[in-house]
Amino acid sequence: MKLNIEGLLVYFPYDYIYPEQYSYMLELKRTLDAKGHGVLEMPSGTGKTISLLSLIVAYQRVSSAFPLDVTKLIYCSRTVPEIEKVVEELRKLMEFYAKETGERNNFLALALSSRKNLCIHPEVSSLRFGKEVDGKCHSLTASYIRAQRHVNPNQPVCRFYEEFDAVGRQVPLPAGIYNLDDLKDFGRRKGWCPYYLARYAILHANIVVYSYHYLLDPKIADLVSKELAKKSVVVFDEAHNIDNVCIDSMSVNITRRTLDRCQNNVDTLQNTIQKIKETDAAKLREEYRRLVEGLKEANVARETDIYLSNPVLPDEILKEAVPGTIRTAEHFVGFLRRFLEYLKSRLRVHHVVQESAPQFLKDIFDKVCIDRKPLRFCAERLQSLLRTLEIADIADFSAVTLISNFATLVSTYSQGFTIIIEPFEDRTPTIANPVLHFSCMDPSIAIKPVFQRFQSVIITSGTLSPLDIYPRILDFRPVTMASFTMTLNTFNVCLCLVALSSKFETREDFAVIRNYGNLLLEMSAVVPDGIVAFFTSYVYMENIVASWYEQGILENIQRNKLIFIETQDAAETSMALEKYQEACENGRGAILLSVARGKVSEGIDFVHHFGRAVIMFGVPYVYTQSRILKARLEYLRDQFQIRENDFLTFDAMRHAAQCVGRAIRGKTDYGLMIFADKRYARADKRGKLPRWIQEHINDGSLNLTVDETVQLSKHFLRQMAQPFRQEDQLGLSLLTLEQLESEEMLQKITQIAHQT
Amino acid sequence: MDDQGCPRCKTTKYRNPSLKLMVNVCGHTLCENCVEMLFVRGSGNCVQCDTPLRKSNFRVQLFEDPTVDKEVEIRKKVLKIYNKRDFDFPSLREYNDYLEQVEDIVFNLTNNIDVENTKLRMEQYQRENRDIIQKNKAKLTREQEELEELLLLEQQGNEQRRLEALQEEQRQLQAKKKNKQALLDELEQSQLPATILLAQHKVRAAQLETQIEQQKQAVKPTNLFSTGIQMRQTVSLQPVPRIEEVLYHYKPLQVETYGPRVPELEQLGRLGTHGDSSTTGDLSWTQPSSETGELS
Repeated sequence: MKLNIEGLLVYFPYDYIYPEQYSYMLELKRTLDAKGHGVLEMPSGTGKTISLLSLIVAYQRVSSAFPLDVTKLIYCSRTVPEIEKVVEELRKLMEFYAKETGERNNFLALALSSRKNLCIHPEVSSLRFGKEVDGKCHSLTASYIRAQRHVNPNQPVCRFYEEFDAVGRQVPLPAGIYNLDDLKDFGRRKGWCPYYLARYAILHANIVVYSYHYLLDPKIADLVSKELAKKSVVVFDEAHNIDNVCIDSMSVNITRRTLDRCQNNVDTLQNTIQKIKETDAAKLREEYRRLVEGLKEANVARETDIYLSNPVLPDEILKEAVPGTIRTAEHFVGFLRRFLEYLKSRLRVHHVVQESAPQFLKDIFDKVCIDRKPLRFCAERLQSLLRTLEIADIADFSAVTLISNFATLVSTYSQGFTIIIEPFEDRTPTIANPVLHFSCMDPSIAIKPVFQRFQSVIITSGTLSPLDIYPRILDFRPVTMASFTMTLNTFNVCLCLVALSSKFETREDFAVIRNYGNLLLEMSAVVPDGIVAFFTSYVYMENIVASWYEQGILENIQRNKLIFIETQDAAETSMALEKYQEACENGRGAILLSVARGKVSEGIDFVHHFGRAVIMFGVPYVYTQSRILKARLEYLRDQFQIRENDFLTFDAMRHAAQCVGRAIRGKTDYGLMIFADKRYARADKRGKLPRWIQEHINDGSLNLTVDETVQLSKHFLRQMAQPFRQEDQLGLSLLTLEQLESEEMLQKITQIAHQT
Repeated sequence: MDDQGCPRCKTTKYRNPSLKLMVNVCGHTLCENCVEMLFVRGSGNCVQCDTPLRKSNFRVQLFEDPTVDKEVEIRKKVLKIYNKRDFDFPSLREYNDYLEQVEDIVFNLTNNIDVENTKLRMEQYQRENRDIIQKNKAKLTREQEELEELLLLEQQGNEQRRLEALQEEQRQLQAKKKNKQALLDELEQSQLPATILLAQHKVRAAQLETQIEQQKQAVKPTNLFSTGIQMRQTVSLQPVPRIEEVLYHYKPLQVETYGPRVPELEQLGRLGTHGDSSTTGDLSWTQPSSETGELS
């Protein structure tokens, strides 16, 4: 259908539209008009992706009329399946365009992923791990390897890359929609490398779909996304965890093993330098000359020379020359050695140390006479050295790269980072396992370039409440912040807050565990098909399951349903998931016991009968004793005026909402949501749940006992089991174009968006 | 790390966790016991390289690699002499060359390359630059100054926060004390029965408690984001009004000159430029008009 959204003609590839989708597009358009950033929350399963795509594509189409508008859409998602899903939606939209307008438009949209997912080289693509693929690919495509081939024709190179390099750049990728497989097919047909083709094509593509890391991780972003146009719209989908992604991309953890591997790296470097000095001293002299001139020139690298890692360096550093202390190769290796020994000596602690970056720098100067400036150049210098030494397999050098990144970061940022050295893990205080955490506490450092560079950044997810906390922790100013609810003709969510407690003090209590067991047992008798139960941690789950076993509760449950358990092992978990789905397909259904913040809670959808009930046992707080978390909380309080408790509750609630939201994946879906903890009833917790969940909380569903819950769910499930027709929905939660245009409906729609 | 040991008596850290390893200027390790035994007379030769050593120069080994210990020792010594700062040089390039030279000296001394000559060079340098060395002794490099400043700021921040917390606590204590005193006074002077007074006091105490609790929670709000934008600033959600303007459309200009007819463009080249005012006027607008014509 064709929609008119404040004067913008939007093609929407479906015959019906949800009112909230219309409202969402309205807000989105206003954000784009204002050329600002936006935070939009809309429940999962209401067609966020297609609303986003159809509006932005429409916007791009008219932008030829308004020359300063949007030219490119960068859509960031989390996982490869999600990326593929987006591309499929886009394909549908484009087909609709072609049908309606009758002309083939020249839109180019493509997905980009790692080499592992895109490689078509027969040997390289058969490798199992992403790192291996990257390393092998690099050893075939690096510029000096290819240069050597001129001298020595037996040097193996990647023919796909050669072919692409020879002709691929002149011919732009024909317009169309490409997912990963399409790219591979295209690459095979032409004999071009799909990965480099995609990386080259994103520069002129209209729509790029890729993972967060390509924008947020400074090392990758510098390679891939550096040249993307300013007039782009960036969308972060499923962005409720975006602050953690930012923080992870800037943090470095160094263990004893890293240092040992680094030691080996440094030894190899030294040997290689010795060898080269004897055979080809001119090469080192040439590098030396370049370094004297300054890094800017040394930095002009070919696109394949990915010695990775360029943590956000201020530009003025690149323009300056490398300090004399690390200019020659031997001196630099000696420098690395000293730095390494210093780190080793720091790791030999017996108690926890926490210090700021300036303190660390002062100490390192006192101990091993390393200045701040050479440290700052460390990452760049190492890259230059690796390039000069022509080391083919960079995967081996990840340890020393990590260390040099750490050196650069610690000397560049005096604020927003903290150094914590722990001699052992908290859970195993007898086993010495020293770790140096260099942890970033300010997510805005990693994301700042994105907000600065791009015209509009949209952060959207099903769970972003409370909305105002994201602009604060990411330090940006949104022009729109809106939360949308799901309009429903019937209540297909039943929310129960069960008055049990799993406060830390009482959670090992026998009675509490038994009550939880009873709840699950009763529900397993009432609910058809699948039930998903979430615990707060793996340890807690193990404890509870063990004592359920002793109390005979498990046995009773198994009379009703099969039980599957998520473990920390990914392979085991996916096996359990598969069998769980099989059990839901036939038979009396199953129960999946899993953990909030685990793999299941983040990425797996339980549509329809796979999840008829979700039970959340306890409040999924993070492990609050961790020092990194404590440091971060302190930083948040000092810098952003966010109280510790507020942040912890916010974090717990977004995970709880994420878990519970797994069950409802659309309007025809229904499910029970049970929060089994009385702390959820408190106003401070309830207020932080997304609005679409809050709306279903009424006084009748608060503080229930197990029996009351069972009664309520029985009633609810019987009601929901009645046949459900589309006609019932029409006009209420599903609109045709005529209905949409009626005055009354437009009035209603304006109320959907909840501004904050 | 457990496999480190004394090369002479072969004791390792694994067998004797309290083993203390020592290093001397040559960079070879010995355990404390062996040092005591071999250097009873205060000096002697290194077991491994025969360098004459003094007992007083033995240091506890800080790093796993004894050569790093040696290097740091040498470096500290060299840096005491070579202490020029970046502002002593006219350009960055020269400073960097100087730094490299220093690095060379340290490298040579650590790896026993050309030791004699290097030492001579150092002595010569020391003689030549005595003044500067003396002058720079007290000075820090600019970067170190910055570091010190940062550290100072950090300390001040911490101190201030601690003080604030302390003051807050004191204030609360005082408020409580005052409350108690008020109760005593009232009990002394008031005509009301004691039970009522006590009840009143209880209510007041509870109020105080909640007040304190609230104060604790209310963190001082700052009114600026780090970007310099006011917090709680009302953000307009209205779309930016798009100015509905008709794009500029070029129309050829008609000027009534009342003079002789303006020559055509191609004629101009042939006839040459005249001082005629109408011609120059003609030229001056042909230039921009061709651009606007393209735009429209």
